[in-house]
Amino acid sequence: MSLLEIDHVTRRFGGLVAVDDVSAVVEEGELVGLIGPNGAGKTTLFNVICGFTPPSSGEVRFAGERITGLKPWRICRRGIGRTFQNLRIFPNMTVFDNVSVGAIGRLGIEPFESLLRTRAARVRAAEVSARTWQALERTELAPYAHLLAADLPYGRRKYLEIARALATSPRLLVLDEPAAGLNDTETAELARFIRTLHAEGLTILLVEHDMSLVMSICQRVMVLASGRKIADAPPAVVQQDPIVLEAYLGTEEPA
Amino acid sequence: MRGALAPLAVAAVLFAILPMGLSMAGSGYLFRLADVTLIFCILSLSMQLITGVAGLLTLGHAAFYGIGAYTAAILSTRVGLDAGLTIPVAGLVSALFGVLIALPTMRLVSIYFAVATLGLGEMIYVTLLNWVSFTRGPLGIGDIPPLRPFGFDLSSPLGTYFLIAALAVLSLLIVHRIAHSYYGNALRALREDDQCADAMGLPVVRLKIEVFAIATFLAGIAGALWAHTTGYVNPADFRFAESILILAMVVVGGLGSIPGAIVGAALLILLPEALRAIGEVRILAVGLIMFLCILFLPKGLFGEVAALDLVRRQFGAAWRGGSAARPLGWR
Repeated sequence: MSLLEIDHVTRRFGGLVAVDDVSAVVEEGELVGLIGPNGAGKTTLFNVICGFTPPSSGEVRFAGERITGLKPWRICRRGIGRTFQNLRIFPNMTVFDNVSVGAIGRLGIEPFESLLRTRAARVRAAEVSARTWQALERTELAPYAHLLAADLPYGRRKYLEIARALATSPRLLVLDEPAAGLNDTETAELARFIRTLHAEGLTILLVEHDMSLVMSICQRVMVLASGRKIADAPPAVVQQDPIVLEAYLGTEEPA
Repeated sequence: MRGALAPLAVAAVLFAILPMGLSMAGSGYLFRLADVTLIFCILSLSMQLITGVAGLLTLGHAAFYGIGAYTAAILSTRVGLDAGLTIPVAGLVSALFGVLIALPTMRLVSIYFAVATLGLGEMIYVTLLNWVSFTRGPLGIGDIPPLRPFGFDLSSPLGTYFLIAALAVLSLLIVHRIAHSYYGNALRALREDDQCADAMGLPVVRLKIEVFAIATFLAGIAGALWAHTTGYVNPADFRFAESILILAMVVVGGLGSIPGAIVGAALLILLPEALRAIGEVRILAVGLIMFLCILFLPKGLFGEVAALDLVRRQFGAAWRGGSAARPLGWR
């Protein structure tokens, strides 16, 4: 049984087929890339996995259980942590509070517990705090903990999103275009960081527009084009695949 | 509000210095003013929870205040229920309406929620006004007994003041514990980006309904206190303008800030009174203060978020078109 199983998923928007009968798996412990040119359906597929968009047909299973139709927060609690393509941090909250939201989301929260400061509330708060600090340490954000997120340098905000996702204690981390907006040095740093997370035992699905990051760190690469999966192989093989090259570079027009 | 000194100072002022000063001044008017200020502190604190902390722009808060007031008025004049019971029951009835209204409307996004609360608030007002057999309509309900909970006679100015102050402190404690806990962090995440909060494992709709229930419970308590201390309720006290007044307290004090809600309430109750000498122009002066506040103090006195940012996000893409919106720096 694979950790994540995408089973014949199709998503239509009116007449447009954004994702067309895609099947794929992610095994426990893998670092897999999902690439494709603009409009290939990467984000739609991503949203289907995380529960933001229901599939028109097909289903997604996580750890053997069907998760299609579940709300995003329930999918998160099953163990899929995600980041967003266009940075969605909570700007008017501190870095610590931002990351704590992930831990709170995973552990759950009850109003009367907080109101009455029961023993259960204190135990839960200690656990939230521990998981938050752990995520901050892993992303080297601990020194910034009490800074307002809006005052964090741009490059660090990417790590804040990842820290928040890590605080949900995911079994699968799905990163949506983490390298967008980063320069080469920052991308290289990010690549090292993702590799470290993977080496620590986390399963990662990396959705990227840019080929170089995926090719340099992923064990296996899936390629989407026009909503279809056109390749699923190790990077070296995908790079030589004529169909992939055609999708990325276009066919040569006869002169 | 950090450390142990701040709560002690608040308690000393509320329960010793202020009542002593008011007793020496010996004026019922000043006591009444203190009572009304504290009642509005409860209202602004409760709205702070919904709008400032959880980021839901509600335009119908006065309706829940009204439901509390009418519940207390009807139960004490027709059923003869003790004030010790009408106050909590008023809170519960108001919270019940809060949940009933929240269930369908919390699924609405952004500005639609604000419009729905406005509409439902006016519906409640119109019901109070026209259901004459039950609420006596525009005549209002008079002869509401003063505060004598469980045989303790608190109907004197000092007694009434102490009860209201005690309930205001209790409300402060409730709002403080909710806002300054991890539960408060979850609510703030909804304010910042509820879709993202959803992806982080937070049950968004459930949290919104809970916070609405807690806040409307407190608004109902405030309503009951108003009914028992005024002795008379009238639908006109719970109109849309009253919701806007409470919202103004929260905005001037600063969204998300508890001291802000208190200072905002005190400012907007006491300032018009202080300006009584200049007649009706004082309403203009209050409007001007709010206008200047939004212009020069975008986050209010102690706020976490600029009020305009919150409103702009309510309108979503419709507002974001202009470049004028950029300098305020959202996203």
